[in-house]
Amino acid sequence: MGAAAPSATFSSERGDLLSWLTTTDHKRIGILYLVTSLAYFGVAGALALTIRTQLSHPNNDLVSSHTYAQLFTLHGTAMIFLFVAPFALGLANFLIPLQIGAPDMAFPRLNATSYWMFLFGGFVIFAGAATNEGAAAAGWTSYVPLSAIAISTGLGQDLWIVGVFLVSVATILTSINFVTTVFVYRAPGMTMWRLPIFTWEMIATSLLIFMAFPTLASDLLLLFIDRRFGGHTFDPAHGGDALLWQHIFWFFGHPEVYVMILPYFGVISEIIPVFSRKPIFGYTGLVIAAFAIAGLSMGVWAHHMFTTGAVNDPFFSFVSLLIAVPTGVKFFNWIATMWGGSLTFPTPMLFAVGFLLNFLLGGITGVMIASPPIDFQAHESYFIVAHMHYVLGGGSLFAIFAALFFWWPKMFGHKLDERLGKWCFWLLLVGFNVTFFPMHFMGIEGMPRRVFTYESTGQLPLLNAIATAGSYVMLAGVLVFAWNVVVTTRRGMPAGDDPWGANSLEWTTTSPPPEFNFTVLPPIRSERPAYDARAKAAEA
Amino acid sequence: MLVGRRLFISSAAFGIVLAIAYWLVAHEISGAFLLGFMAFALTFLAGYMIVSEREADFWGDDRDAAHPDAEGNLLGTYTIRSPLPICAALAITMLVLGVVISPTLAIVSIIAILALGALFIVQSV
Amino acid sequence: MATTQSSVMVGNWQLYLVVGSVVAASVWGLILFAVVRYRRRGDAEPVQFANNYPLEIAWTLVPLGLVCWLFVYTYSAEASVETVAGTPAVSVHVNAYRWGWSFAYDGGPTVGGAAHGPILDSAKAPPPELVLPANETARLTLTSSDVNHSFWVPAFWFKRDAIPGQVTTFDVKPDQLGTFEGRCAAFCGLNHALMTFDVKVVSPQEFARWRSAEMHT
Repeated sequence: MGAAAPSATFSSERGDLLSWLTTTDHKRIGILYLVTSLAYFGVAGALALTIRTQLSHPNNDLVSSHTYAQLFTLHGTAMIFLFVAPFALGLANFLIPLQIGAPDMAFPRLNATSYWMFLFGGFVIFAGAATNEGAAAAGWTSYVPLSAIAISTGLGQDLWIVGVFLVSVATILTSINFVTTVFVYRAPGMTMWRLPIFTWEMIATSLLIFMAFPTLASDLLLLFIDRRFGGHTFDPAHGGDALLWQHIFWFFGHPEVYVMILPYFGVISEIIPVFSRKPIFGYTGLVIAAFAIAGLSMGVWAHHMFTTGAVNDPFFSFVSLLIAVPTGVKFFNWIATMWGGSLTFPTPMLFAVGFLLNFLLGGITGVMIASPPIDFQAHESYFIVAHMHYVLGGGSLFAIFAALFFWWPKMFGHKLDERLGKWCFWLLLVGFNVTFFPMHFMGIEGMPRRVFTYESTGQLPLLNAIATAGSYVMLAGVLVFAWNVVVTTRRGMPAGDDPWGANSLEWTTTSPPPEFNFTVLPPIRSERPAYDARAKAAEA
Repeated sequence: MLVGRRLFISSAAFGIVLAIAYWLVAHEISGAFLLGFMAFALTFLAGYMIVSEREADFWGDDRDAAHPDAEGNLLGTYTIRSPLPICAALAITMLVLGVVISPTLAIVSIIAILALGALFIVQSV
Repeated sequence: MATTQSSVMVGNWQLYLVVGSVVAASVWGLILFAVVRYRRRGDAEPVQFANNYPLEIAWTLVPLGLVCWLFVYTYSAEASVETVAGTPAVSVHVNAYRWGWSFAYDGGPTVGGAAHGPILDSAKAPPPELVLPANETARLTLTSSDVNHSFWVPAFWFKRDAIPGQVTTFDVKPDQLGTFEGRCAAFCGLNHALMTFDVKVVSPQEFARWRSAEMHT
């Protein structure tokens, strides 16, 4: 192996602020994305706790209705645009060149520009809170006519529009970088069919971003022109169409949720084989399933509009039901990977199994609401809130923690503490399910979404109180994670190149990797180059 | 780059099928336009891959290649650090803020963006 | 379950719940079994199998068949729920606005009004009331005069969005007497949570009496 000393990438020698502000190194940019998105997660989580506290009992007056509207708008916007998606982009930024054996991304300066646009875009969105009429308060979906200038008169809504626009452009530029890098800069022997599943998922995600985010950007532009430049695209009183916003928005919005899960399918596909000591089962099936999901996801958008009575429900219902098939294929592949394996359960694997258990429920409720007769009751109720949080919280969030624990040593040279990691996992697993499982019943009982209070009827007070309690348990889990980071930063033990005995190429270089990633590359003859290198060394 | 070509061609074919199926089933103009435009964009990507990647020969595609095969090849000039990204992002952010709160800020930002663009071109030449 | 349409929808819920529970139990079962049965015991590397094409084809085709089968039931359930045919016994034009509901009966009274004050407590400010006759088809024509709202009666297992610039029509045939709570289910601003209404289903005779009393007020 190469004798070069581990690079000073993250050490104090080059840790000054200026080097971070001017970096174009994909590893540093990746870490910037992760830190920033986790910070936005903290903010969005605090907003969520405020929401849950307000809803802990009926007719609560912790916050006013107007404040509450800003809370859920910013919570949704931050979680979706500033946390779950950017975290994946940051992880991909760090990993893709390492996984394919490249020295950096294809366009390093563009890469850095995207990151700073994302950071500043978040500031612009939140800046609305400092304006006279407060931040945007029309929901993260910003439906017209509520978000039109006649009703949402404040600057907060405009700042939301341009902030999200900034983040969208950043996302599109990043995905261009990903696809170009993977197509052009693969190391010798790294054919497309030897790519790690995570990299494949990121290609599929990038394709979705190409199709979806420009659509969002144009919807935002049209809304902005309506609001500030006398446009009438969405204004029914002047020949416009209020429903058009929904069509264009969800044409973006549904692929967006797959942008928020496909990378994490990739994370799970990397972690399970390592801790099962078997290769990933059904590699080709997983790749094809990723693109099947991506392709089908472009054709389901109006299942968010079943209750408008203005869309062809059967078309969207059928395609939405179809998406369950490739998703199921992935599930069976992951289970088959564990099957007959030799399983160990360090924290990354705990979170991966937690992902499987949680996401399954979210997927099944998703199949249910693909049926319009079911959606007629569930739509815009807490049943939907339960579904979305099971896939995004129980799914993506758990995969995010799995990824953090798994790749932390590669990024920083030391592992996170295992005991604290297990506490974090169990607190999150219990807290998450206690918070969101009752919401299925709240929805069926008639509690709508986006309400700052509810009637004291039936089981609603009890279910809400339970959900609020669960959210505080989740807080404890997140705080344990933060403590874990603090404690190990000061006294973490060096991890070495490959602390887990893993499979993909990034584990053949040092932790953290040197400036241009590899001094020597092993021969790449399968999708498990690190495993092959270990096997070869053992033979010798 | 056979796999990439196949990927975009099958995506384009899928997009065309989806757009046609949607129009036939739903006769709804907004969705048909969105899907149709998407199919067009994917076809454009596929066409590009077919035409311009014909001669592509990446060592990553060679199943039996090893690291030494790539030695000595110049991939390009990698920047280690650059102030351009954060400045460009700041200028673009000021532009969108200016459009919302202050036309003066917007105009100043456009000048800044043009200046940065010129700097970028000068640096790359 | 208070309308003839809602029993179709509840049937659909039950179908999906049964199928979903079976799938969930099986897959959770497989995961938990694997987690316990294949725990690491000793250092031996497990057999490195990574493919089984017949199995992979099977677990693609079987779910595909399952969702197609579900779709057939779903399609027919929706078709029956959304049938708008024949002559209804009563037609009501429902208009949603910030923040209340107006119910304009064809040839009859226009009733309704604003939602509650700041506290959700029926005793303090009774919500606007839509009166319908039992066991007779009511045709509701829905729109909004400002932003998106949504007419949701949880007991009917049904909602329809009220979108400005658009008129949407649906039938309900209540088959239970009683008062059923209604909600707005599309975020419409400050008093969205307070924009409740009631649907009161009475006998046709009682309905006729109510209607003539209202028209003479």
